[in-house]
Amino acid sequence: MSKMTQRKSLDYVKKEYVRTRTQPGSWYLSSYNYKFNITHMKPFLAKLKEKKLVANQCSSCNRVFFPPRLVCGKCLVKPDKWVDIRETASVSTYAISYLKDPETGEVQERPMVLVHHDGADTVSIAELSPDVNVKDTYVGMPIIAHWKDERVGGLVDIEYYDKYKDDSDDIRYKK
Amino acid sequence: MGRQVAIASAGFSEHASKRSDVSMPELVSEAIEDCLKNAPSVELGDIDAFVNGNMPAFEGSNIPELWMTDWMGARNKPLLRVTTGGTTGGSVAISGYYTVAAGLPGVDTVLAVAFEQQSQGDTSVGLASVAYGEISILNTLGIPYERISRLLSAGAAIGVAAYQATTYMNKTRISEEDLARVVVQNRRNAAKTWWAHLKMPNLTIEEVLDTPYVQYPLRYGMVCPASDGACVMLFTTEEKAKEMCDIPVYVNGVASVANESAVLGYDGSGSAQIDPSMQLGAIRSSELAYKQAGISFPRKEIDYAEVYAPFPNQQLLWTEKLGLFEEGTAPAMHEAGITDFNGELPVNCSGGVNSTNAIGASAMERPAEAALQIMGKASNQVPKTVHTSIGSGWGGSLNLITLMAMSDQPQRKWR
Repeated sequence: MSKMTQRKSLDYVKKEYVRTRTQPGSWYLSSYNYKFNITHMKPFLAKLKEKKLVANQCSSCNRVFFPPRLVCGKCLVKPDKWVDIRETASVSTYAISYLKDPETGEVQERPMVLVHHDGADTVSIAELSPDVNVKDTYVGMPIIAHWKDERVGGLVDIEYYDKYKDDSDDIRYKK
Repeated sequence: MGRQVAIASAGFSEHASKRSDVSMPELVSEAIEDCLKNAPSVELGDIDAFVNGNMPAFEGSNIPELWMTDWMGARNKPLLRVTTGGTTGGSVAISGYYTVAAGLPGVDTVLAVAFEQQSQGDTSVGLASVAYGEISILNTLGIPYERISRLLSAGAAIGVAAYQATTYMNKTRISEEDLARVVVQNRRNAAKTWWAHLKMPNLTIEEVLDTPYVQYPLRYGMVCPASDGACVMLFTTEEKAKEMCDIPVYVNGVASVANESAVLGYDGSGSAQIDPSMQLGAIRSSELAYKQAGISFPRKEIDYAEVYAPFPNQQLLWTEKLGLFEEGTAPAMHEAGITDFNGELPVNCSGGVNSTNAIGASAMERPAEAALQIMGKASNQVPKTVHTSIGSGWGGSLNLITLMAMSDQPQRKWR
């Protein structure tokens, strides 16, 4: 077991309780069918195949939603304008998870990031490239989308985000 | 139109990781017994209505309030059930307040009951069942389930809180040592509270920093435990409360505000809350509750605060967002000892959610403890006199905030 996941517990004042009868049980639940309206996503998913990113914009508050959203929760109108979004983005925030690889059993240290695309007003959850060193991740890091070779028209087409070197002045935060 | 509501009493059961000696109804009746001990003139027969709440899927038992009807003494009486995730306790307390404030004939005294026996079931499975309906749209858009669970760290609450911690640490430029200091304060306070779970009287900052990461930047020593426990609050009218106890605690302001969920987003389209530590819902709920309670300067007027902080960064965050400290100054206030047991503004002297977390009950333990501090009956009673206190709750994907502002003087809203 890796040192990363060793559960070294802290001592605390424990009290022993009498054990009463315990009967193990389990829920055998049915499978569920959740319903989603993704008609508003169709143009976005079609463009993903062509390596293009589009987002929709609320015509009332001008917020740009990426990925597209059905209803703007602030204005309660359907966003109807379509705008292009750049591939570049910045790390809004990140966390590092230590999870076991189901195949090899090794503990992977991978930063999970919230990606704030340039030109969008929303953040979405994504992974960073395995090449990026965990310790080099920081809030505001410039990143760029890494496309899959075979694209199917789904969110999974952007496999992960690569570190992107950008010398322009619009990087607000630096390490 | 409306009535002044007072808290006459509050009670707790003992909290532990495995309360193997009691069943779920017995756990609840233990807390009710403690609540009635604090108000000796009240009997179960005097209670007119009941509000009950927990998170059902965590214990594998839906509608448990029917199982425990007789254990609560709720037979042939109005019974209501509320479940709102992490804020269940806060919502149950607010429902108890509403039931009394409504002024229905014959409904004067209401018992609010919140509980959780997490050792019965699997909390991760329960949390997954809460979130899966919402996030399964990501599956339809092509992301496999393994990847979703990796992104959200297997669906546990720490998955979203870690993102919040990173932005907060970046914004205020604090280190892990500052987080560990909060943990040490909480766990030492818990050691003086009879019902708390993680009692660590001799914990040091080094010991906390020696534990491995669960998810960066939160370490194993910093996260909340999973406890079994129950909490009970007795709400009644102003006139009856004066007969029931020496110092009735008046509920002057309540708020329950949701904002757009951070991190998870909405229907797979991300979230417009770019900064998860912004917490507009907390700011709005504090505005609402303080306005009702007539609190203009929360930093000066509030004497004691119980905030819902399973993770140390959240204790720092909420104390700022609820107006107790200036933005970005909470870590310095903790370091200076202002939030200590002896300090100017004690925070979480019961140990907080950081030391005791029975999910359904946690958000009610905050106002309950804050009320007991005013009454002078708290287990870890602060030396200063408490006139005004608050108890907050947090739930959902960082978006639902409940808040209750209490005082020993009623704020007349209805004349």
